[in-house]
Amino acid sequence: MDSIKSSYGQVVLVDNGGFFPESDPQMDAAWFLMDAMKMLNTAAVGTSERELRWGLAYLKSIVNQKNLPMVSSNLLEASTRRPVFKPYVIEKAGRAKVGIFSLMSDKVDLGPARDSLKVEEPSAAARRSIDELKKKGATVIVLLSQLGKVESEDLAAAVPGIDAVICGHNVPLLQKGRMVKNTVTSYGGEQGQYVSQTTITLDAKGKMTTGENESFILGPEIPDKPEITKVVKDFEDALNEKLRKAEKERAAEVQQQVTQQTDHFLGADLCQRCHQGETAQWKTTSHSMAWQTLIDVKKDATPECIGCHVVGYKAPGGFQGSTDAPRLVNVQCENCHGMGTRHEDYSSKLKVTAQTCTNCHHGENDPEFNWDKKLPMVAHGNMSGETVQRKKIKPTNPAMMKGGSGGQ
Amino acid sequence: MSLRSLSSRARVALSFVVLAVLVLAVAAAVSDTIKQPDKLIILSTTDVKGKTSPCG
Repeated sequence: MDSIKSSYGQVVLVDNGGFFPESDPQMDAAWFLMDAMKMLNTAAVGTSERELRWGLAYLKSIVNQKNLPMVSSNLLEASTRRPVFKPYVIEKAGRAKVGIFSLMSDKVDLGPARDSLKVEEPSAAARRSIDELKKKGATVIVLLSQLGKVESEDLAAAVPGIDAVICGHNVPLLQKGRMVKNTVTSYGGEQGQYVSQTTITLDAKGKMTTGENESFILGPEIPDKPEITKVVKDFEDALNEKLRKAEKERAAEVQQQVTQQTDHFLGADLCQRCHQGETAQWKTTSHSMAWQTLIDVKKDATPECIGCHVVGYKAPGGFQGSTDAPRLVNVQCENCHGMGTRHEDYSSKLKVTAQTCTNCHHGENDPEFNWDKKLPMVAHGNMSGETVQRKKIKPTNPAMMKGGSGGQ
Repeated sequence: MSLRSLSSRARVALSFVVLAVLVLAVAAAVSDTIKQPDKLIILSTTDVKGKTSPCG
């Protein structure tokens, strides 16, 4: 951060698109992120099918309302073949005029607006946009690509004139970008975990001579801006309360449907009757306090978070809502070993494997997870409590440590 | 527990905050002098999927 502050002045912010949330109750997050992008003076925002999930009319109305610089070179109205949004923007940055355009795949489902939209073949749209941008004086051309990794690279190799490609749409994080012919590529992961920095060296006319890219995270060495953190936290707390109501309604519906299924979750109270040693060890691990970590950050009603902090979320016999606390909260026996009703399969079919852990400790949630190193930390012979110490978790609920629900 | 104290915070960046800090830093730099006029920085996020912070 200090190096950017002291070294550079010419910075352009872009978002590649794909910022709409996963589920309907989280619609507010789309609005919040759009406000944030405007506040940050984001120069251009790419478009993906994700932004169309609630229809074109809805998207256009909030884009207009927020005056967000959404761009797409190949998303067209089917009837007129005219672009739905601006095909590109040009941003002046020092000696450079940066032309930014966006492409999405022509193979995706466009959701409720699929009948009224058409996605042009990407490379044709790219050639046209590059040509127009150059005629308008752009000296550096940036593609916000929602084509995935391989197709983005193929397009950069096939279509000359693109200086930088921001690769998106299920693209894994790669800390360093690379050159594809004369184009520098960026692979910044997803879910806002990383920010990607593409550094372009300019000649006297503002054209790119070389480029490099690196994606990075904000570590503890960088202090938060308290006022920004507060804005985010206030939004998240309000959203969590809203989601809590939606979760209650959903849970009530599920409880009516889930009666006596053949296989279902039981909760650890039953397990610990026989497995007392394992229970005692489990209570020394951060798994036994996983629910509290959600409460602490007021995410205990956020569906995308709950699943990895309770037993059998939305599954038969599993956690459906807060009324199931404390019996089914935390990462308990059945998270690793499987449904209690399948106990006889534990020694044969239901082995704990890397897949068991990576259901939650996967790339997005735990990018540095290493099964060989982490499994011993929670193995039933390990009473060191190192997972709690590493996470610096404060056992705010002493009952958890003294014999509350659960045992693994 | 504050966001700051989350252990996961170190590896899961809150891009909104990151970018805000970067913009403020950059704005300060611009108002001063452009020390490397031959450099252009593109800061990008992608596929944020509605996320504003880690779960916990």
